[in-house]
Amino acid sequence: MNYTSRNQKDKNNMFRTIGINDINELFDVIPKYLRAKELNIAGGKTEQELISYFSNIASKNRILVSFRGAGIYDHYIPSLVGEIIGRSEFWTAYTPYQAEASQGTLQTIFEYQSLICALTGLDTSNASLYDGATAAAEAALLSLRVSGKSTILISQALHPEYIQTIKTYLENSRAKIVILNVSSNGTIEKSSVDAAVNDDIAAVIIQSPNYFGVVEDMQTLSSAAKRKNSLFVAVINPLSLGAFQAPGEYNADIAVGEGQVLGSAMSFGGATFGFMTVKKALEWKMPGRIVGQTVDKEGKRGFVLTLQSREQHIRREKATSNICTNASLNALAGCVFLSGWGDYGFKNLAEINISKARYTFNKIKSLEGFNAKFKNATFFNEFVIETQKDIKKLNKVLLKNNVLGPLDLSNMNESLKNCLLFCVTEQRTKSEIDSLVEILSKI
Amino acid sequence: MNIPQDLKYTKTHEWVKIDGSNAKVGITDFAQHEITDIVHVELPEIGRQIKKEQPAAVIESVKSAFDIYTPLSGKIVEINNAVLESPEIVNQSPYENGYLFSIEFADIKELNDLLDADNYKKLI
Amino acid sequence: MEKLLNELSSSGVPSYNVKSDVEIDVQIPRNLKRNSALGLPVAAENDLLRHFTNLSRKNYALSTVFYPLGSCTMKYNPLINERIAKNEAFNFIHPYQPPESIQGILEIMYGLERDLCELSGMDCFSLQQAAGAQGEFAGLLIIAKYFKSIRQTRTKIIVPDSAHGTNPASAAFAGFEIVPLKSESNGSISPEKLKRILTPGVAAIMLTIPNTLGTFEKNIPEISKLAHENGSLLYYDGANLNAVMGIVRPGDMGFDVMHINLHKTFSTPHGGGGPGSGPIGVKAFLEPFLPVPRIEKKKSKFVLNYKKSESIGKLKAFFGNFPVILKAYIYIKALGAKGLKNVSEHAVLNANYMLARFKDKINVPAGGRCMHEFVLSPKSLFKNDVRTLDVAKRLLDYGYYAPTVYFPLIVEEAVMIEPTETESKETLDAFVDILTKIILEETGLEPQKLKEAPVNTSVRRLNEVEAARKPILRWK
Repeated sequence: MNYTSRNQKDKNNMFRTIGINDINELFDVIPKYLRAKELNIAGGKTEQELISYFSNIASKNRILVSFRGAGIYDHYIPSLVGEIIGRSEFWTAYTPYQAEASQGTLQTIFEYQSLICALTGLDTSNASLYDGATAAAEAALLSLRVSGKSTILISQALHPEYIQTIKTYLENSRAKIVILNVSSNGTIEKSSVDAAVNDDIAAVIIQSPNYFGVVEDMQTLSSAAKRKNSLFVAVINPLSLGAFQAPGEYNADIAVGEGQVLGSAMSFGGATFGFMTVKKALEWKMPGRIVGQTVDKEGKRGFVLTLQSREQHIRREKATSNICTNASLNALAGCVFLSGWGDYGFKNLAEINISKARYTFNKIKSLEGFNAKFKNATFFNEFVIETQKDIKKLNKVLLKNNVLGPLDLSNMNESLKNCLLFCVTEQRTKSEIDSLVEILSKI
Repeated sequence: MNIPQDLKYTKTHEWVKIDGSNAKVGITDFAQHEITDIVHVELPEIGRQIKKEQPAAVIESVKSAFDIYTPLSGKIVEINNAVLESPEIVNQSPYENGYLFSIEFADIKELNDLLDADNYKKLI
Repeated sequence: MEKLLNELSSSGVPSYNVKSDVEIDVQIPRNLKRNSALGLPVAAENDLLRHFTNLSRKNYALSTVFYPLGSCTMKYNPLINERIAKNEAFNFIHPYQPPESIQGILEIMYGLERDLCELSGMDCFSLQQAAGAQGEFAGLLIIAKYFKSIRQTRTKIIVPDSAHGTNPASAAFAGFEIVPLKSESNGSISPEKLKRILTPGVAAIMLTIPNTLGTFEKNIPEISKLAHENGSLLYYDGANLNAVMGIVRPGDMGFDVMHINLHKTFSTPHGGGGPGSGPIGVKAFLEPFLPVPRIEKKKSKFVLNYKKSESIGKLKAFFGNFPVILKAYIYIKALGAKGLKNVSEHAVLNANYMLARFKDKINVPAGGRCMHEFVLSPKSLFKNDVRTLDVAKRLLDYGYYAPTVYFPLIVEEAVMIEPTETESKETLDAFVDILTKIILEETGLEPQKLKEAPVNTSVRRLNEVEAARKPILRWK
């Protein structure tokens, strides 16, 4: 392919205007000895050839019936989402720097911010971050920045890759990370927060539903964090908020999470978007872009990027974050996703997840050799089962049946040996669930 | 450009008004004009100990942010909450209602390093 | 004016609906249950489709207008990329699938890493970073970790004042102290000035080549020598890589670490601000520090290797923005080595052609030749209190997106233009004519038109001051 088509006549005219005879003269400033040799990069395929080349590669991936979650989930994506993010006026636009020529992008971001605030019950949302893990890391940095304190308490039941990302982000700061251990119920207990909070704790970061699918008692944990004026950071699955308490209800200061469940495909774990909402007092300290409503010179409503002096293109090394490009198109998918359910429909979606997961959970734990790991836990769409079966074999058999089985937690730590993390969303049909159970029963 | 005679000034466009052992600090009329429309102000915590010429506050316009340096060492004893709420006051009244904070200064000799109105006028 | 979602009719049936084929069975303890209303809109699909479609039409986009946004490389986003990326066998893939079920994805990622190595002259690449700024951050963490591993204390990063804002922000984010370097009026670096600040505590120098004024850094061999003699490393900001593909390689110029913006040079769309992808490349001695996992080829199978004890760890969850990675790889397979070189040649040709047409009329601080972009400084031509901002808004009235303005910070009233290789001579000519007319004629004869601009957009000039003073950041 060649996307630079230019006829020789035009080129000659351009050469004349510039005052050169050959395109190579434009590069005379680069010393000859530095010049690249001819590169060895295969290519030059036509569209037709590209389609067959990549179809062949795609055929080496397998689309499976997924009972695995752990941060990325197979959810239904309404047709409207694809239609809107497929509009080239959205996907080929740049960051909306010229507001008057970018009202489409700006208004949808404003709507996105409004919807995420409604969902989380907090005051202010930014325009998106890269993903859930980086949003959690940015929340840690935000807490350290506003509090002037130097320690972060993190739930051990936070997604391990989120913990690793936070560690990476804090690597060269003076901040310390202290991990709160999970109890035998699969939750963080109030007593463990009580024992760990002190005047130097900038934030307590708790995920709910946590990595093991268990819904935490966020109200109690939040109060415990506030006892020493630590900020409470909730890492949440936004789909669960159709049924479970919102961060605003339990007085969280910051809510962050992974937006993939709101209309983005799994696509191997990216691109997705991270969201962040905060209490009003923190909005000038928030990372990332923010859109605000204003009026034009005739008094007509319009939208602009605002509070920009927080950002790197103005504040440089003193910016609240280095983020520039974010995940705008995925956030747009989130906006379209959230706009078509209504409260009832969204709650219903959450309840279907809960119900299908419960149905599966009850069936599996009644099988011989499979037990519930956390007996009295409340869960959303993921749960942990302990088994005496050979896990490798189990997942191999499932794979043979085109099923992506549960995630093996055995290597996480000693107490999770022989434990499996299942996920069941509204996408799984009763017959898929029954046949999963059937296969498990024969192992 | 308004440059009141009874104030002291810095090269970085802050003004100082001495009142007993405290000093009120703000930015000059020239500075507010250069910054243009002020949209946000950040002030130091009350009680903070701060050294001369350290950044104490931040003033922001739509497209830029400026550090404001304390002209004197000492302890922050009061801040002007009104400008946090309505930052435009700094544009409207830089020497009166738009002051930023008061500092209990630690070393009276530091006053000698400040400019008087005439010398500040020469600077701008 | 387009209504907001919460102002749309709420009498309709919601657009989306799912049913359950198992019994609804929900028992949530009272203390865990949501009590507050969600307040989500209820709108019919027909209304939502119109709402979002109408909003899309209020955007100027690359698919509708010329978008000469300097430093952003707004080149054509080939449709074949989008088409192939819609394949379900790329989208319906869970990140924790066993390697044997994702060989296609790993083959693409491995292949892109190899091609980027060849193109850049670096030895290894990591694709995990979600954007250019995250690439910078990762690169700087690697630099920090490297010096820690050889037990040297180096806490400073030199950043020229012409650099993108993300450079100093990322360096600060990674825990470094920033030493600004004043660049010359054409944006280049003076080795003499560099020497003065190149102390033993300097970990690295971050450079953008061509620089943000669009000139090639001809002192780079000397800068590289100075840096390395001082034990410092060289970081290449690949934002402007579109100028030099197949012409000169960062690795050959002496750079040790670099990032690439796939959403600039490799034609993946910007999506209104993301997602992007910021691969980082390093020389072999820095390979142990790259993020985990690494994709490796064992016999003919691809595997993920997490066992890298010196790695900086993870930059985000999972493996990177795969659809962006895929589109970039499709682009490379469409063009190949020859096509990529052709891209850079024509990007530079287009920029020089425009520059040649401007340079006798409007001041160009960096001189009469450029690489893929150039910066105009029309300040001396402005009359009647007109400013660059007014020129930018006036361009919108003529149906163009505005160039990057007021950047780089070292040029007063800067207008930064990057045409890219995918624009025709006709488009370039028409744009030059209009911009010249605005700056040379309209500022004198019709300044009011500039001050009033834009009038042809969906809204007139917006009040940014009030937006920031009294922020309204969501609907009530």
